Amino acid sequence: MKKLFAILVALVLVLGMVVGCTPKTEGPGGDPEGPVSREVKLKVWAAQEEQELLAMLIEEFKAANPDTTYIIETGVVGENDAKTRLQEDAEAAADVFFFAHDQLRDLVIAENLLEVTVSTEDVIARNLEKSIVAASFDDRLYAYPATADNGYFLFYDNSVLSEEDVQTLDGILAKSNEAGKQLMFAVNDSWYLASFFFGMGCTLTVGPNGKAIFDFNSENGIIAAEAIKVMVQDPAFCVGDNAIFAGGIGSTLSAGVTGTWNAAAAKEALGENYAAAKLPTFTTASGEQVQLGSFSGYKLVGVNALTLQPIEAMRLADFLTNEANQAKRFEVRGLGPSNIAVFNTDAVANDIALRALREQSPFSVPQDVPGRYWGAAAAFGNTLTNLDFSVDIPTMLNDLVASILGG
Amino acid sequence: MKNLRLFLFTLRQRIAKLRFLSWLSIPLPGIVNIIYGQYIKGLLFFLAEFWFWIICFPTFGLAQLRQLASLGETPRRAVLQPDGTAILQGDNSLQILLFSIFIIAMAVAAILIWVAAVKSARLAEKELQVGRRPTSFWQDLKNLFDKNLHITMLSLPTIGVIAFTVLPIIFMICLAFTNFNGTNLPPTKLFSWTGLDTFRQVFGSSAGMNEHEAVVAAKKAYTFGSLIGWTLIWAVFATFLNYIFGMLISLMINKKGIKLKGVFRACFVLAIAVPAFVTLQFMRQLLMEKGVINTLLLNWGIIKESIRFLDNTLLARITVIVVNLWIGIPYTILITSGILMNIPADLYEAASIDGAGPFKKFTNITLPYMLAVTTPYLITQFIGNINNFNAIYLLTQGYPLTQKLYEAGQTDLLVTWLYKLSITSQYKDFNIASVIGICTFVICATLSLVTYNITSSKKKEATFR
Repeated sequence: MKKLFAILVALVLVLGMVVGCTPKTEGPGGDPEGPVSREVKLKVWAAQEEQELLAMLIEEFKAANPDTTYIIETGVVGENDAKTRLQEDAEAAADVFFFAHDQLRDLVIAENLLEVTVSTEDVIARNLEKSIVAASFDDRLYAYPATADNGYFLFYDNSVLSEEDVQTLDGILAKSNEAGKQLMFAVNDSWYLASFFFGMGCTLTVGPNGKAIFDFNSENGIIAAEAIKVMVQDPAFCVGDNAIFAGGIGSTLSAGVTGTWNAAAAKEALGENYAAAKLPTFTTASGEQVQLGSFSGYKLVGVNALTLQPIEAMRLADFLTNEANQAKRFEVRGLGPSNIAVFNTDAVANDIALRALREQSPFSVPQDVPGRYWGAAAAFGNTLTNLDFSVDIPTMLNDLVASILGG
Repeated sequence: MKNLRLFLFTLRQRIAKLRFLSWLSIPLPGIVNIIYGQYIKGLLFFLAEFWFWIICFPTFGLAQLRQLASLGETPRRAVLQPDGTAILQGDNSLQILLFSIFIIAMAVAAILIWVAAVKSARLAEKELQVGRRPTSFWQDLKNLFDKNLHITMLSLPTIGVIAFTVLPIIFMICLAFTNFNGTNLPPTKLFSWTGLDTFRQVFGSSAGMNEHEAVVAAKKAYTFGSLIGWTLIWAVFATFLNYIFGMLISLMINKKGIKLKGVFRACFVLAIAVPAFVTLQFMRQLLMEKGVINTLLLNWGIIKESIRFLDNTLLARITVIVVNLWIGIPYTILITSGILMNIPADLYEAASIDGAGPFKKFTNITLPYMLAVTTPYLITQFIGNINNFNAIYLLTQGYPLTQKLYEAGQTDLLVTWLYKLSITSQYKDFNIASVIGICTFVICATLSLVTYNITSSKKKEATFR
């Protein structure tokens, strides 16, 4: 009886030999003969909304480089997911990928990003200074800036709220209550939650030693949290996501705090009543008006450190983010450019959503956040929006700070 | 030709009578079989061992095993070549661990084959000593489809289970003893063995930590304890409520005098026809703060404020249990109605004559009968509910969140927490997830073994009629 077993095991071993012991072929595909019939394989990751434009740009890139045969594969990975997906298996991940700039620190520390060595000076010269700062770490450039519009501001319904109303949170809530509508402000989401704390001048960033700098439990932080507590109990307040915003703006929602990616949806739903503005001010317990802050962010294009075609990958990343293609990205997708020339065109300056974002930018903080913040702050925000006030605010904030500093 | 074979046979018999040659297969597996005339089998034994121990193990295997202790020294990097392309160099902890386990499994298999070779040589020798020819390869093959058929049938599933279940489980268990998390992600970083550190974290040791780290460590430990509690509560309610309500409904449908039994049953089975995840998504939409149910109740003036079905801890927990009834009861109806019809009617008649009411009949006839038959089903349901990812994750995603828990919400089960830690969390605590996996396995294995062994299904296994 052992015999058959033995034979089968032997078969498995033989199969194992084929799988396990054949020398692995690593290294670039294509022949090393020379540039005549050079074949370059690349994989690009971008968000679903970018795909159409991306396909077009890739064709243009191929046409611009006729002496090389490019085999470029595209994958759908949103900017927000890029780090997670890349780190699942960095070797199998894309060579060139779009990502949100707040992931840069983690990606650099994990050595997933290649330093920019192709047209570095040109990139630095042609993009907004803030976007270059966002794409750099320790004064080295690690990515190509693609957009400068990752941030949030206020979309509102002109027929319900006047320009005056949207100056203050109280004004928005009062008018919305009258009209039986609601303001969507997802403070259960860590990203939006920070708005009140930044308004009060709190700090949330990462120090040069890689340690979190975080003081939401300061006196100012407590004032901010108390203001959130008041807001979430207002009948005209609600939380929501992109789907709820797109479905509700113009009907059940009078206004919503979100970003440029919802501009098209808002424009379509509101028509002539479409309007956008910087975030309003909120009222502290002592009656002061404080301007809400926000995160500002950039979409970047990075090159995987484990790519087999570093030079070609960087050339493609450079191409995807050059002036002409940022202009196209604005035209097709309405995304705000980081390229100085495109940024200064009339079309960009007159765009309602981008103008609101620009008004908000003096009150925005570049998004460089310790990773522990997201989970811990979501728990804090959800506790408030679930109207669970069983623990007092200072204790909750202390817990939040400990979770982030001790993570 | 015939003479030659006879000569060889006699020669082999002579050698066999010396009773020492078979020992030669300990250093040289397969050779003795060849000498005794089992050419193909001997060759297979020899080739398998030769290939593994001489070719594969020293080159590929040793390289992996040597790195197993450190799990790699230099992280993987792309090294730029003059032509602008790059090649990859360096180690990958995950691959080292994976290949090491694979090579160890292969070594165990090779040793088993070696043992089989020795035994087979001894057997051939014994056969020759009593004057019989050792079985030929073709006879062996024929036997595999005749008197050794059970081996043929069982070996493929056995190998499959070892390759696709046992080895991955060993791999996962190993991860619990490493620091494989978001800060040490291969291939660009390496992870290493950390012994029982992860277990200490989960069970709440805060030795050598600063004030903030101790808060987080305490939170992890609290989360673990709290989620075990809720997981067990959930499993008990989800299992037994489904069972009892399902049985009651099928009793009602089975009752004499009920018309259109088939229609009623079909109604309930319809709930199975819709995939559970669709139902759960739908229920989620219905129950949301601005969902249909709340909107209707508000419009009818029955409630003044939205009911927070999914945002309030207690309500959310009740909601998941109740919604799970919708999904679970139809299955219980299907399973129990057949068994209920099998209970001899004379038992009930006799009970009626003795003056038993419906409740007495249920507790003294129906329930014992059902329990005897369905306990194994209940156990699998209970274990299934401990690991019921869909019902929780698709309905509430573990929400509501609370600061008391680490990367988890109030309706999270151990298994959904595990998912969050390893898939959705920013920090990818694979090692903690592995510890949770081990603990869940221990809980499930203990509970099912203990309960199964005290059930009548087990005790009367042989006597069941």
